[in-house]
Amino acid sequence: MSKIPDKQIGNKDSTWFFQGIGLAIVMIVLWIIFSIINPRFGTITNFLTILTQASYYIILAVGMTFVITSAGIDLSVGSLLALVTVIGFELIKEGMDPLLGTLVMFILGGLFGSINGFLVSKLKIPPFITTLGMMVSLRGLALIHSAGKMHYGLPESLIWFGQGDIFYIPVPVIISILFVIFGIWLFNKTKFGLYVKAIGGNREAARLAGIPVNKIEILVYTFMGFTVALGGLIMIARIDSTQATIGTSMEIHVIAAVIIGGTSLFGGRGNIFGTLLGAILLSMMTNALVIAGVDYFWQLFIMGIIVISAVIINNYKEKKISFIKVK
Amino acid sequence: MDSDFDPKILMKVKNLSKNYGGLKAVNDVSMDVYAGEILALVGDNGAGKSTLIKSLAGAIKPDNGEIDFNGKTIELLNPRDADNVGIGCLHQGLGLVDSLNVPENVFLGREIQKRFLGIIPQLDNEKMREKTINLLHQFGVSLPKLNDAVINLSGGQRQTIAISRLLLQNIKLVILDEPMAALGVEEGGHVLNLIKKMRSENISILLISHNLEHVFQLANRIAVMKNGKMIKIIKTSSTTKEEVVKLITFGKD
Repeated sequence: MSKIPDKQIGNKDSTWFFQGIGLAIVMIVLWIIFSIINPRFGTITNFLTILTQASYYIILAVGMTFVITSAGIDLSVGSLLALVTVIGFELIKEGMDPLLGTLVMFILGGLFGSINGFLVSKLKIPPFITTLGMMVSLRGLALIHSAGKMHYGLPESLIWFGQGDIFYIPVPVIISILFVIFGIWLFNKTKFGLYVKAIGGNREAARLAGIPVNKIEILVYTFMGFTVALGGLIMIARIDSTQATIGTSMEIHVIAAVIIGGTSLFGGRGNIFGTLLGAILLSMMTNALVIAGVDYFWQLFIMGIIVISAVIINNYKEKKISFIKVK
Repeated sequence: MDSDFDPKILMKVKNLSKNYGGLKAVNDVSMDVYAGEILALVGDNGAGKSTLIKSLAGAIKPDNGEIDFNGKTIELLNPRDADNVGIGCLHQGLGLVDSLNVPENVFLGREIQKRFLGIIPQLDNEKMREKTINLLHQFGVSLPKLNDAVINLSGGQRQTIAISRLLLQNIKLVILDEPMAALGVEEGGHVLNLIKKMRSENISILLISHNLEHVFQLANRIAVMKNGKMIKIIKTSSTTKEEVVKLITFGKD
């Protein structure tokens, strides 16, 4: 039998990087165009603003990349963010130790995430329905807790997470970048990441290979919940306030970042680095529209169009549809 | 009579049953698998072949019965248990995860890990890639690219990878459910060679196939099932296709 040509085998796990290059080029081109149209866009200060605005989306989108790669979806992230932040904020304001209050936020995030995971994996409720229900219920809980209330006035130690900087680089940006690096490692270098891809690619084959499918699925949604708590913490620290309606339609923004980043909506394949770029791209677009004075409602409209376009491109790449005949 | 275990018997299945509701999918089946033989399992659709092998591979839990393997009574609660005693199973159409590459598929469920910074476990992709190459060499499988998602490979290549992944461990029995289905003649030929190669390595094979041509070409013995019951186990050399067809169709000769 013929030998395997060794040079074709390749040795690096860096495909995630190369898959992101195309998107990065698109972003640079857009960057230049926006900067020419409006010089205020192209400043370093504005660049850091864009990254800061993207930071919590980036963190949630890392979690969402795992969820979508496992062939799931989580629509409840915006509502969960509202619930954990209103509860955490109030506890801390009423005198709870900030560290303990933050811990409560993470526990709540993980708890509700694991409930999502339990419903999806053990009770076999489709992720879309499970998390749609949770989206409404958790928003309800947030409103029960804090309807009409505006929480503000966090202790300085927590404000630092949203407004501080280290060598002029905003803390949210540093945290989100570190989290992306962790995400890339978790996704590409660990059993957990591999199992998430395997389950999303072929659930039954994964089960027959001895993978604890249900356990991994519950972990995926639990991890998503933790990212909601972390992203929520940074968000409320940045604006030093929260309310029951915070994070409305956040899920669409997070899912869009993941899909734009090249993660397959059908599960099995994902790209955390792409997710990072997707989130920054969305933040860039929003920022450009704001600078250009475009109305918020139009921003929403454009966001929806971007999401649908990204899915069309995704489908095309997956060869589910074809504009031109694929040979 | 079962007390003295014949050393040539690798697996002894005793009175195995599995019901789905009122349906007796596998009804009191007993059979032996000898060391180093190819035993073909034939029967019509719904005869209970898949349910039987799923029980033997730990994919489903039988309601009754006992399995002795290598002289010991074993209990298979999940696929990993089967893996641990040396039983590998290729389920029909469920061998691989399309979106993963070749080494990831080969090692799925039993990854090699190393320690990142000496403490945190992470995948040792280099070592798995290396071992995959060796394994494929050993069984004479040639492949263009290991880092591609296996969806880009041909049906025959995919099937050989799916079978190779069973051979990774110290395997004693390989169960193959329709390994040549949906393959072209040439590709089926590759799989056929791989099966012969496994037998020459003294691995027992339980082969499910609809293709009597293949069965007669490969099998030492043929087991015929009908309506969940084991009808007869016969030596290939002492039977004919006509007889086997009669057994499959009418449940008697």
